[in-house]
Amino acid sequence: MAAPKFAFLLLNLISILPLLVSSFSVDRPTDRRILVLLDDLSLKSSHSLFFSSLKSRGFDLDFKLADDPAIAVKRYGQYMYDGLILLSPSTERFGGSLDVEGVLDFVDSGHDLIVAADANASDLIRNIAAECGVDFDEDPSAVVVDHSSYAVSETEGDHTLIAADDFIQSDVILGNKKIEAPVLFKGIGHSLNPANSMVLKALSASPSSYSTNPSSKLSSQPPSLYGTAISLVSVVQARNAARIMISGSLDMFSNRLFRAGVQKSGSLNKYEKSGNEQFITELSKWIFHERGHLKAVNLRHNKVGESEEPSMYRINDDLEFSVEIFEWSGSSWVPHVSKDVQVQFYMMSPYVLKTLSTNGKGLYHTSFKVPDVYGVFQFKVEYQKLGYTSLSLSKQIPVRPFKHNEYERFITTAFPYYGASFSMGNYVDVSTKYMIELQMAGFFIFSGVYLYNK
Amino acid sequence: MGKSATTSDVHALFHSLRSAYAATANHLKIIDLYIVFAIVTAVIQVAYMAIVGSFPFNSFLSGVLSCVGTAVLAVSLRIQVNKDNKEFKDLPPERAFADFVLCNLVLHLVIMNFLG
Repeated sequence: MAAPKFAFLLLNLISILPLLVSSFSVDRPTDRRILVLLDDLSLKSSHSLFFSSLKSRGFDLDFKLADDPAIAVKRYGQYMYDGLILLSPSTERFGGSLDVEGVLDFVDSGHDLIVAADANASDLIRNIAAECGVDFDEDPSAVVVDHSSYAVSETEGDHTLIAADDFIQSDVILGNKKIEAPVLFKGIGHSLNPANSMVLKALSASPSSYSTNPSSKLSSQPPSLYGTAISLVSVVQARNAARIMISGSLDMFSNRLFRAGVQKSGSLNKYEKSGNEQFITELSKWIFHERGHLKAVNLRHNKVGESEEPSMYRINDDLEFSVEIFEWSGSSWVPHVSKDVQVQFYMMSPYVLKTLSTNGKGLYHTSFKVPDVYGVFQFKVEYQKLGYTSLSLSKQIPVRPFKHNEYERFITTAFPYYGASFSMGNYVDVSTKYMIELQMAGFFIFSGVYLYNK
Repeated sequence: MGKSATTSDVHALFHSLRSAYAATANHLKIIDLYIVFAIVTAVIQVAYMAIVGSFPFNSFLSGVLSCVGTAVLAVSLRIQVNKDNKEFKDLPPERAFADFVLCNLVLHLVIMNFLG
């Protein structure tokens, strides 16, 4: 009687196990479950190449219409997705419980986001982008037009389809292989706040581009966004390693532009396939933490010759420092090799700054002498490289001055003083101090007795 | 006229001081020599410290104070031993010297400990 019930319970328990291992965890930084919000379900087929490349890399995509009332990214305080893709530029309000606040909380908790805007993007998408540090052109009907970098096309003549090849120079973000063909882009442009240090232009417009409404007459005032200040695709890496990609064109992700050939106006090169697929694929690998995610473990320090970490150093000690840095390769942690990791021995300002040398297997080490200052110091490693997550490690250690018996027995600079006091009649040696005291007492008594005994 | 008068006055002053000093007893002159030697040693140490810096400050103090201390003790010995001093007329000079030696011993005990 009890056996079927027990079996049923066991089956239930076992079926929960797969859910426990399929989420983002510190040991496996690549995202797993991604929510994709679409304006229109036809995007599933018109952008199928993009989605199938994500699926083939092992992501679980959950497609929903942007105004579906069943949308929820959080349940019982836990996020159900590791990444969010918003391909819904014209949605005014999301369905369910998601809004600008919700999207920003999602990103603030360390998750990743891809946002695509387009001509006539809604305020919702513009607000989300503005909170991420990206300002779209305020004119809602303005698109990016470029009369000397447009893609030569038989059907469209208004130069809104541009061929852009001004990529960010980073192998981590865009992959090792150079993107040969320009990327086709049709949409709106945005600018970045120059004071914001976390947002980068992944794809910039050429100096001859500007943002305007192509169907209306050009106004007498110059356009507010022009030249290389226009960014077509931007990426943001937050301090908690959340990565955001903001693109001004939804068509950039479409099958049509993935497969299209491209010829930039003014150049003779005609490419069979645009650089869109390679660009989008490599960028999504970076966004979803398949590349460029670092972790640092085992920060150790010890005195030269010892193997345990002491609780305190003395000034002028020699010490060794080591840390291990690994990079996530998409499936496993591999050693990160770099020549510019530095360690500081810091107390209000760095007293020692040394570049760590590596053994090629992820171990970075160096050795130096503790400075001649005592106090409470910190070993600090601050590593911020373009495209990689930032490392900020510190370990506190006190440093004491010499104990009184740690000086040399006879200090060389004091020899004149030793000589002077000897020449004054001081012939006492330290080790016979006590004998001399006795002798002194004896001498005193003797002389007192003798001299007063007249 | 005035200048040659003052220089000749200075010369006369020096001359009288030297001749008066030559008349003092020999044992007093020996003590004076010892005092001069002690003070010069102290000055040399101060000059050395000014050049090299005060790193083992305790050694510097100890060295200078040993010189100054024996100079002071030698001065008091000279006062006690000088026959022209009415105050110490009844004090035997051996007693004065014994005091001097004992005080020096105490001084140098302290100096030795502080020298480091």
